[in-house]
Amino acid sequence: MALTGRAALLALLGTLVVLFAPRPGPAVAGVALLLAALVAVDLLLAGGVRPLRFTRSGDRLVRLGETATVDLIVENPGRRRVRGLLRDAWPPSAGAAPRRFALDVPAGERRRLTLTLTPVRRGDREAAAVTVRSLGPLGIAARQGSHRVPWSVRVLPPFLSRKHLPAKLTRLRELEGAHPSMVRGQGTEFDSLREYVPGDDVRSIDWRATARRSDVVVRTWRPERDRRVLIVLDTGRTSAGRVGTAPVPLAGREDRSSAGRGAGLGGPSGVLPGGLSGGLPGGRGGAETAPGWPRLDWSMDAALLLAALAARAGDRVDFMAHDRSVRAWVSGAGRTELLSSLVNAMAPIEAELVEADAADMVAAVLARARRRCLVVLLTDLNAASLEEGLLPVLPQLSSRHLVLLAAASDPQVAAMAAGRGTPELVYDAAAAERQGADRRRITARLRRQGVEVVDAAPEQLAPALADAYLALKAAGRL
Amino acid sequence: MNPAGTADTADTAGAGHAGTSPAGPVDSVGTVDTAGLAAAPGTGSTSVSPTAASLWRGGRGVLLVALIVVAAAVAGVLLGGTGGQDRRLDPDDTSLSGAGALARLLEGRGVRITRVTSAAEARAAATADSTLLVTDVFPLTAGDASRLAGAPGDLLLVGGDRRLRTLAPGLRATGEARTRSREPRCALPAAAAAGSVHLGGTTFAVPRGGTGCYPAGDAPTMVGYRDGDRTITAVGDGDFMTNLRLAEDGNAALAMNLAGARPTLVWLVPPPPGEAVTETGEQGIYDLVPPGVKWAVAQLALAVVLLALWRGRRLGPVVAERLPVVVRAAETAEGRARLYRARRARDRAAAALREGFADRVVPRLGLPSAAGPDARVSALAERTGQAAPQVASALYGPPPADDAGLVALAAYLDMLERQVRDS
Repeated sequence: MALTGRAALLALLGTLVVLFAPRPGPAVAGVALLLAALVAVDLLLAGGVRPLRFTRSGDRLVRLGETATVDLIVENPGRRRVRGLLRDAWPPSAGAAPRRFALDVPAGERRRLTLTLTPVRRGDREAAAVTVRSLGPLGIAARQGSHRVPWSVRVLPPFLSRKHLPAKLTRLRELEGAHPSMVRGQGTEFDSLREYVPGDDVRSIDWRATARRSDVVVRTWRPERDRRVLIVLDTGRTSAGRVGTAPVPLAGREDRSSAGRGAGLGGPSGVLPGGLSGGLPGGRGGAETAPGWPRLDWSMDAALLLAALAARAGDRVDFMAHDRSVRAWVSGAGRTELLSSLVNAMAPIEAELVEADAADMVAAVLARARRRCLVVLLTDLNAASLEEGLLPVLPQLSSRHLVLLAAASDPQVAAMAAGRGTPELVYDAAAAERQGADRRRITARLRRQGVEVVDAAPEQLAPALADAYLALKAAGRL
Repeated sequence: MNPAGTADTADTAGAGHAGTSPAGPVDSVGTVDTAGLAAAPGTGSTSVSPTAASLWRGGRGVLLVALIVVAAAVAGVLLGGTGGQDRRLDPDDTSLSGAGALARLLEGRGVRITRVTSAAEARAAATADSTLLVTDVFPLTAGDASRLAGAPGDLLLVGGDRRLRTLAPGLRATGEARTRSREPRCALPAAAAAGSVHLGGTTFAVPRGGTGCYPAGDAPTMVGYRDGDRTITAVGDGDFMTNLRLAEDGNAALAMNLAGARPTLVWLVPPPPGEAVTETGEQGIYDLVPPGVKWAVAQLALAVVLLALWRGRRLGPVVAERLPVVVRAAETAEGRARLYRARRARDRAAAALREGFADRVVPRLGLPSAAGPDARVSALAERTGQAAPQVASALYGPPPADDAGLVALAAYLDMLERQVRDS
C-alpha cells in the first residue's frame, strides 16, 4: 500500500474545515474517518498487483560504452485496469533509464515497456525487482507490490583497440608473403614453390625442383602457423590500480561523461588524458582527478587485440586469468568464435585485492601448455611484487616457453617526473624518477632472463603488444 | 564471480557473437547461471511482496507482545485505584499526602469546609466568621497574595511561602528547621492543648504581640498573632495535617484546633492540572486562541504525517551492488613524494633525479652503461660545453643543502639533458 500526495492534500484541506467547524474535535475525527474511508475504497478498487505477469526479452550482451535495450511486457490478467507507476530496479552501474514508467494496462491486455541500459562497468548486471504502484480510481491510495523478473545482461569489455586491427593485419599479410617478399628471414616454414624472378635470394632456389621443371624454381617461406599463444591475465592487486583515463564514464561521474567518452571511444588514442594536467599541481589534486581505468581493463583490451591478430595469423590462442587460483580459462576455441569466447570469459572478471600467486600461475601454465608456446603475461611492472613473486619461478616457465610480459605504465607518474620549479614539484619528480628507475631495473632483469618486455602507456599498450608479437613472428621465434 | 562457472561458460558454450548479435548458447548458459530460481529465463515472474497471510505469520508474534503490554497496562491502571496523582494537603485526597482525614474530622465537628481552587474564589468565600487555609502547595502569584491579604476572617498559613510578607503583614521567615516532633513551649491555647506535634520547615520571627510555639532552637516554627480583628497563624510545615501523620503525637489536635477555630473553613487548593487558569488579566496567549485552532493544528499534523508517508514510500527496493575499488596507481608515487617532502629528503630526491638523468643521457652519449663517473663527466662536458667540475658536482656532488638547491639541481640536469638531446 502507498499513499499519494492527494491524501496529504485532502488532510490539508481538512485543516481548513476543522478551523471553521463549530465543533472542531468531532470535525477532526470526521475528516480522519472520511480519509480512511476514501483510502479504503481506493485500495479496494485499485487493480491488483500480485496477479500481474511479466515477461522480458531483449539484449543479453552489450559492450561497455554501448546501450542495450530490454523489453518488459506487463500482462494484466485481472479484472480491473492497472494504472500507476512501474519501476524496473537494476543495480546503479547498469545505467537503467528511465527510472520509472507510467503504467496503464487495461484488464486482460498487455503492454510493452522498453528499458535502456547504459552500463558503466564490465560484468553481469542482474535485474533486481519490478515494482508496480497501482493507483485507485480516486488517486488517493495505491497498491504496491514487487515481482522478481530475472534477467541478466553481460557487459563485455569494449575492445577499443580494434581500431588498430586493420593496420596490424596489413603488417601480418606482409609477413605472410601475400606481398612479395624477398628475404628468407621473413619466415621459416616451407610454403610453396614458384618461378624465380630476378631479385630472389639465390639461396632459396630449389635445385631439385629446378632440375625437374627446366625452369629455375625457388622455395617460398611463410611465417610459422599453428603456433600456440597463451595469454595470462593477472587479476591480482596490481591490476586494480587505475591508470590513464577511463574511456567510459564511471558511475556517479556524469559531469565528466562527455569528455571521457570523446577521448576514449571516438577520438584518437593519443589524446592527452584530461585527468593528467588537472591532477598535477603539487600532486594534491587527487580528489579532482578522474580515477582512470583499472590496469586490468587496459590489459584485457591488449589481450583482445593480440588474440584477434594471432587468430588471423593462424595461431591457437588460449586464455587464462589468474590471481591466487585460475579465475578463467578459455582453450580450444575456434578461430571464428575465439573473440566472443574471450570477451565472455573476461566480462565478469574483476581485480581482486590479493597478491597474485606467481608460483601457482606458473604451475597452472605448465600443466595446461604441454607444447612450447608464447606465454603473454599481462601484469604490472611492479618491482616489489615481481621480485618476490615471478622472478624466482620464472626459469621454470622461460625454459619451456617463450615469455612476453606486457604492462601498462602510468602516464600520471610520467607527468609527475617532468615537474620542475617548486620544491614540491621536484620532490614529486624525484619520487616518479625513483619509480621509473625501479621499473627499468626490473625490466633489465627480466630481459636478462630471456623475457620480452612491453612497457607502454595505457592507450598504447595494445598496439605495442601487437607489434611485439609481429616482431617475434617475423623473427621466427614463436 | 564463480571461476568454475566462468570457465565452463567459455569452454562448453564458446559461441555467441561478441555483442554484435547477442544470441546463442552463451546467453542461455549465462542466464541459467544467474537466473537462479526461474525455470526458464525470460518467462517467469514471481511476486516477492508479502501476502496478507505472510504478514500475519510474521507479525503475530509482535502483535501478541503488544497485546500483552497493553493488557498489563490496563490492568495496572484499573487495579491501581483512583489513578489521579497525589494532591498534597487536599481535603478531597485520601492518599498518604492528602488531607482527607482532617477534613472528615472537621466535618464531624460541624465545620463547613469550602474547597476553592483560586484566589478569587477564596476571596469571595471568605467571611468574617471563617478561616482561610492557604498551604504552600498553592502556586501563589503576587496578585493572588494581595487579593487574599484583604480577605476578612482568620488566616491559617501552612509552609513558609515567599508571598508571606504580602499575605500576613508583620510576619517574617528567618530560616529552615528539620521537621520532627517538637514540644509547644508556649501559652497559645491551641498548641498547649495539643502537646507535642510533628513540626518544622520554616522558622519565623515572632511579630510584636504574637506568640511563637514549637521552637527549633529558639526560633519558633509556629507563630500566632492578631492583626486587627483577624487571627493569623503560620506553621512552618504542613506534614502534620496529612493523612500519614495525622494520627501521630498531637498532630490531629493541633490541626483541628487551628483549622476548626471558626465554623467555616475556606480551603485553598491548587487547580487540577491541565485546567487553564481563567482569571481575567492573567490569560496567556494560548488562552486567547480559539479552540478550533488547536484541533486544526492536530489536523495539520495528520496532513504532515500523510505527506511523510507519501514521500517516504519507496517505489521498490534499494539495489546494492559491489563496487570496485578506486585506487589510482599513481598513489604510491605520490605517497613517496610526500614522504620525501615531509622529511626534506634531498639526498634521496637528488639521487633519484641523477639516476634517472644518467639512465636517459648515458646511452645518448654513446657510452656503455658500465662507464665510470669520470668517463661520463668528461663526455658530458665535452658534448654540452659546460665546465667539467660543474657537471661533476651536478652528477656526483654532495646532496643539495636546501630546497632551492634541489630545484636548481633539477633545472641544471634538465638543461644538460636538453643540450645532449638537441646536439
